[in-house]
Amino acid sequence: MNTIQHLSTEAPSVLGGHRLLKSSSCSYFVTTAHGFLLARRMLSGISQPEKYRRILVNSYNRKQSNSSNTTVKTSTKLPSVDHLTPSDAPSVSNAEGREDAASSSQWKERKDDGVDVRAGFSSGKDKKPALLTDSFEYFAFLRRLKRTAEKLLSSFPLAIAELAIIGALCAVGTLIEQGQSREFYLQKYSEDWAFGLFNGEWVLNLCLDHVYTAPYFLGLLALLAASLIACTSSRQIPLVKIARRWRFVNSGASISKLDFHETLPHARLADLAVLLAGDKYQVFMRGPSLYAFKGLAGRFAPIGVHAALLLIMGGATYSAIGGYHGTIMVPQGLNFMVGEAMYPAGFLSQPPDSFDTEVHINKFTIETYPNGEVSQFRTDLSLFNLRGQEVSRKVISVNDPLRYGGFTMYQTDWGISTIQIHVDGEGPFNLVAAPLQTGDNKLFGTFLPIGDNGLAGAKGISMLARDLQSVVIYDSNGAFAGVRRSGSEKPITVDGVTIIIDDIIGSTGLEMKLDPGVPIVYAGFAALMLTTVLSYLCHLQVWALQVDDSLVVGAKSNRNRAEFAEDLGKLLNFVPEIVRDRSMENIAPIISSTNEELSMQGTSAKMDNESSRS
Amino acid sequence: MIYLYVEQIFVYISFLILFLVTLLNLINFFFEIDKINHFSNNGMKFAFLCTTGFLTTRFFQTQHLPLGNLYESLMFLSWGFSFLYLISNVKNKKRLSAPVLATSALLVHAFAVLSLPHKMRESMSLVPALQSQWLMMHVSTTLISYATLLFGSLLAIVLLSIFHGEIKRYCVGNLTNNFEFRNKNYPLISKNFPKQIITESFSYSLFLNSRKCQLIHLLDKWTYQAISLGFSFLTIGIISGAVWANEAWGSYWSWDPKETWALITWLIYAIYLHIRINKKWMGKGSAMAASMGFFLVWICFLGVNLLGVGLHNYGWLI
Repeated sequence: MNTIQHLSTEAPSVLGGHRLLKSSSCSYFVTTAHGFLLARRMLSGISQPEKYRRILVNSYNRKQSNSSNTTVKTSTKLPSVDHLTPSDAPSVSNAEGREDAASSSQWKERKDDGVDVRAGFSSGKDKKPALLTDSFEYFAFLRRLKRTAEKLLSSFPLAIAELAIIGALCAVGTLIEQGQSREFYLQKYSEDWAFGLFNGEWVLNLCLDHVYTAPYFLGLLALLAASLIACTSSRQIPLVKIARRWRFVNSGASISKLDFHETLPHARLADLAVLLAGDKYQVFMRGPSLYAFKGLAGRFAPIGVHAALLLIMGGATYSAIGGYHGTIMVPQGLNFMVGEAMYPAGFLSQPPDSFDTEVHINKFTIETYPNGEVSQFRTDLSLFNLRGQEVSRKVISVNDPLRYGGFTMYQTDWGISTIQIHVDGEGPFNLVAAPLQTGDNKLFGTFLPIGDNGLAGAKGISMLARDLQSVVIYDSNGAFAGVRRSGSEKPITVDGVTIIIDDIIGSTGLEMKLDPGVPIVYAGFAALMLTTVLSYLCHLQVWALQVDDSLVVGAKSNRNRAEFAEDLGKLLNFVPEIVRDRSMENIAPIISSTNEELSMQGTSAKMDNESSRS
Repeated sequence: MIYLYVEQIFVYISFLILFLVTLLNLINFFFEIDKINHFSNNGMKFAFLCTTGFLTTRFFQTQHLPLGNLYESLMFLSWGFSFLYLISNVKNKKRLSAPVLATSALLVHAFAVLSLPHKMRESMSLVPALQSQWLMMHVSTTLISYATLLFGSLLAIVLLSIFHGEIKRYCVGNLTNNFEFRNKNYPLISKNFPKQIITESFSYSLFLNSRKCQLIHLLDKWTYQAISLGFSFLTIGIISGAVWANEAWGSYWSWDPKETWALITWLIYAIYLHIRINKKWMGKGSAMAASMGFFLVWICFLGVNLLGVGLHNYGWLI
């Protein structure tokens, strides 16, 4: 049913379009076009696309039905089938509407001619013309396949189930710690949870240690994307097409079937049109009938939401298979090549030229608040190209990365690389510091050996540092010896050795990323934010028909119906009722009064009608 | 030090007033006395002003929006509830939402004031990761979305608990789109025709205007409006968080527990919005989805802090 209706309105545009029919020479053109297509088919015998075949079949059917139904004007079925609908929407005046009606009759004649010619080919309604080849069936099969797939994928319970299962899996991923080693899971879940059914082995086998990259999770996401595409193409786009076609209704009966309808006695269509236009509707009038709508964005926005989600998923996929990332901990004063630190994320990664840049860490500092807590990490970076010229210089901090040549460098971590000391007046010596504790409370330590006991029995002075400011010193027996601030030049004597702490040299933890999918994802984000807000707009449609002296009004909305009914009722209250006073006709032919006044006099039965409906 | 005293004054006064307002609203809900209505509205306005005063004081003290730790977030949430109370005061005459909102504001406020240790209530300086303009947008929109979503879900719980067996009979959808089926052009006709016939029967039309029917209708309508507003805010909140993460740390989604639970909350409310369109599951199904959303929002807001891992562990309870 959907396809026939779809094609019957598409038919004019396929074979030349409504616009062509407006001029007098168009008929010749249309005949030529039509004849050309027919001739092409006859002579070359190439397989025509199935759409054309169905147009032929459908127009043949229509000819059959039209010849039998020429006198029947009103339809018992659906308002849109038996009325011609212009394919471009806005601002058609009454004159143009009449012209359309005239040209449409021209169109009917044209089709009759065509069908007569074609009657020679097809002997019956549904029989395929003899020139069809196998590719028809191939297209037909593909079309059937697409339709079945759409029907399966856009089924409502499936969509809800997908969302729910993805949500549940995400929740599981937060309960079970992700990305740890194998032994971690075996140890943590070693007891018999759930009577031995669930333990560390299960966690690993079901890929619960990396749920978010597990094949079933990604498969579910792909299925969700497929469902989104199927739903958009099979449900939402046809709805939009139907909603967009403004159609004038010529029978009061079909208006009465809408869920909100009213009959206003002694009212004029023009008054209603003015009121609606004042309420920000777009109003179209043709003859005795009127169509008005408001909030068309509310029909498009849900499609936009799905499209935005697909954009985000597509962008994220592209990032996952086409990016680069790398982390590096560089001591202050050293260099590294960008390309060496970056690893490709997937098979679509292509290194850009900017990977040949050398990065030099000029200085790394940690700023603190007066109470000692860390306020900011800053790294002064210089970028040099292959010829040794400095191409970029920036001080980056935690929320302020460096962007160059497509990749971005973020300040994410820090460490202590060496502690520089003077021993007994000699030096400076750089002692490499090792991380003893990582995470939030970092602890670094280094060791100054004393004496010549060899590697096995080395004894010495330990120095521990938590930040770049002070060092805690312990002697060879492990006893606490003292604390020194770096740069204070105060010596400390431990085990007979005098140490001056010169400096604590930090290293900066940088993370570099090249993410090609980010623009796509950002576009998806923006679209999602916008369309989510827009999709709460109601799409409101009002039809009205002037039947003799009274006005039949019907309305439909796709959301929030009750409030809409109230608002429209209030608007209808303002439509003036024309009261013809026969005795005063010479002086004042028409006296208008609003329905509100009449109702106050208690004369109008319309008020009872209204209250029973609201 | 003066800041501390001023803040404490604001906090305790608003706590007392919220307590009184909640009591008045609950009494009003059962006995419908007009004077109480008047008192409770004004009281709520005063409590709102006090909470705003607290937040402003914190802002002056720390030079950033007062959203840095759990205490401030809870006070912001309570502020959000009282703001919603005042808005719903303007919009609708039938005050179903007043007891719900007043109680929520009071409980959140009480939790912040009574249960959090004193150490957590001090204003802390921001860690480097939070020193960004995005802080204002991301955290505030997310908290406002929590407030609206919690409000909507509470209404859905009210709907379910009061009208447990009877929602189908007065099925909300059928109130207004009885005749749409006959006019549908699309081949995707639902299988609901038998139910249509039943609900258009004589006994149904008797109940059309009954108070119960109206109450169900109103509760459903308010749930939908609150949740749809909250859903937009939640979308903006999640997305601004993702963009901030990308600008600051290079990855817009890292499956952090809080991020993941925000996504799960988003999914459940998307499920709610979709169930609401389906003719068969409308009414009861949507109320159940929204009720589940209530618990998910609390897990998202407080539960993940208990885990103590991830980028969002600024508000540990332990």
